[in-house]
Amino acid sequence: MAWVEGRYAARSVGRNLRRTALSVVGIGVGVGLALFMESVNRGREGLFARAAAYSGAGHLRVVPAGWRLRRDPRLRLHDWRADLEAARALPGARVAAPRARAQALLAMGTHVLTVEMVGVDAEVEPRAYRFVRTMAEGRWLEPGEAGSVVLGKAAAERLHAELGDDVLATAVGQRGGIESAMFRIVGLVASGSEDLDASVCQVTLEGLAQLAGTAGAGEVAVILADHHTTPEARAALAARVASGDEVMTFEEITPEFGGHLKQDAATSRFVNGVILLIVFLGVASAQLAAVLERRREFAVLSALGMGGRRMVRLVLLEALGLGSAGAALGVALGLPAAWHFARHGLDFSSFMGEGYSFQGLLIEPVIYADVGPWMVPFVAAVAFGATVLASLYPAWFAARIDPAVALRVAQ
Amino acid sequence: MNDLVLDARGVTKVFRQGKVEVQALRGVDLEVRQGEFLALVGPSGSGKTTFLNLAGALDVPTAGTLEVLGRRVADLTRGERAEMRLGQLGFVFQAFNLVPVLTAVENVEFVLELRGVGSERRRQALAVLEELGLADLARRRPAELSGGQQQRVAVARAVAAKPRLVLADEPTANLDGENAEILMHLMRDLRDRQGMTFVFSTHDPRVVSHAVRVVTLVDGRVARDEAKPGEPPHEILPRVGKAPDAPGAA
Repeated sequence: MAWVEGRYAARSVGRNLRRTALSVVGIGVGVGLALFMESVNRGREGLFARAAAYSGAGHLRVVPAGWRLRRDPRLRLHDWRADLEAARALPGARVAAPRARAQALLAMGTHVLTVEMVGVDAEVEPRAYRFVRTMAEGRWLEPGEAGSVVLGKAAAERLHAELGDDVLATAVGQRGGIESAMFRIVGLVASGSEDLDASVCQVTLEGLAQLAGTAGAGEVAVILADHHTTPEARAALAARVASGDEVMTFEEITPEFGGHLKQDAATSRFVNGVILLIVFLGVASAQLAAVLERRREFAVLSALGMGGRRMVRLVLLEALGLGSAGAALGVALGLPAAWHFARHGLDFSSFMGEGYSFQGLLIEPVIYADVGPWMVPFVAAVAFGATVLASLYPAWFAARIDPAVALRVAQ
Repeated sequence: MNDLVLDARGVTKVFRQGKVEVQALRGVDLEVRQGEFLALVGPSGSGKTTFLNLAGALDVPTAGTLEVLGRRVADLTRGERAEMRLGQLGFVFQAFNLVPVLTAVENVEFVLELRGVGSERRRQALAVLEELGLADLARRRPAELSGGQQQRVAVARAVAAKPRLVLADEPTANLDGENAEILMHLMRDLRDRQGMTFVFSTHDPRVVSHAVRVVTLVDGRVARDEAKPGEPPHEILPRVGKAPDAPGAA
């Protein structure tokens, strides 16, 4: 950068301190608000991704080809052990849990309940399924134990069953026949959501194979350390799974939930856009006023031979000065707020209750704002983007000033 | 070698103010050669500033042809005219028009920077200021300088890049008699030492007395063009500067 030009731009920013201060405050408040909103929005996205992942969908799920369209729980992976191995070897994978599912009718005495019975790896599942951690009574399944079931408390209540009772499970077998098996209730979970609790019915993979007459797993759910890496991880895993199996993301598995997420993100970004538009208009107005005030000065510069491009650059340099100060103020305002809510969370439990569920997923009532390195490019893009874009018209205006007319008017 | 710096033939300039057309110049014919020290005189509204603006490639004539340093102004694009001003022309304005946020040396340096002078520009700018007796004031901003000092800085800015033609519009109008004298001596020095051509407009008879040639404009036409037979007495000052006067003492 040319030195005198840089000094000129920097000092020009300080010429009308009141206007500069107002512009910087405007940019700073806008950037701070946008930073905070984005931080909460990312936190909420993380929360939803976590909710989906730990409610059974995983961030990624390996499914048999055809499951995407039919959603038939009787479908099994072509080689679930190979898929499981590939999933566990995936960089960034926190846990990979094999599962099999079957539509079943649970009966106890005269009470019946339709559930989706899930066969799990008892050792791995507690790390992949959050409800296992909310055992209200009894215990979790032991590896290899075939005749035990863990039910949601609400499911047990609907069956009028208690811990230690035996329930009869009936399912349609692989060949279309009716298959039945007895399971003893060894544990009851209470997630806080009655709707969800009415649907929890977990047995071991061996137990499900015994009922449905088909061994193996119908899916491998993968939970990633960082949900932002989902697209890359999906591509990597898709290249490694057994032929005939495919990888889906949690948004594809629960499309309604995915749609809701996108809609939510779009709303947040729209609000951010409105904030930035207000900042944009404020800066544009202030910059245009600054250029109009200095009409004669620009005319003199033009008379001295300063070209239009250079004039545009000068005004944009001034805008960068404003943007830098605004960015610093925005960080000073937005970061502490985001930091506070990243540590303590935004608690919506008084509005939502503890057990709010949506599309079969238990949503935590506390949103933790996301604070991270993404803030640096975000603040830079918002502050400099808004100020530079807002200054384009004033800069163009400065470059188009007719020196002869402006000097004549000044005289 | 063609030493014609300015060649105006039938130059006309018409301004439109709403529905009214104002003829500022009505067919001016004028030739200015390298090294001339020419005063444009005439009453207000006679077209002096308009002619200087055209000569400085700030504007283009409505009719007629005007060649500045061998190039037809009307044929040049906006960018080419800016290039010409930067490379070969210097301007001094009535109201000084220094950049208020830059110091005296930075004002001079800025023009050199625009011309693409690199690390040498600070040294060159200081040398010009020193030549004009302003070395002690180099780091002062315009608001800290008197009118006379500001105008000398403006002259330094105009001549720093060694232009062939310097145009000055009423350069002494805002100066007292003493500072006007100093300024005229300065400009004569530069013309005598460096061969620059000066064309300046003025109302001031004392300033006119320094001119080698006086062109009188009346109602947008050249009414009189007098070349003085012998150059008026001019003492080349070894150091032009005088003790810095107080700000606002123009």
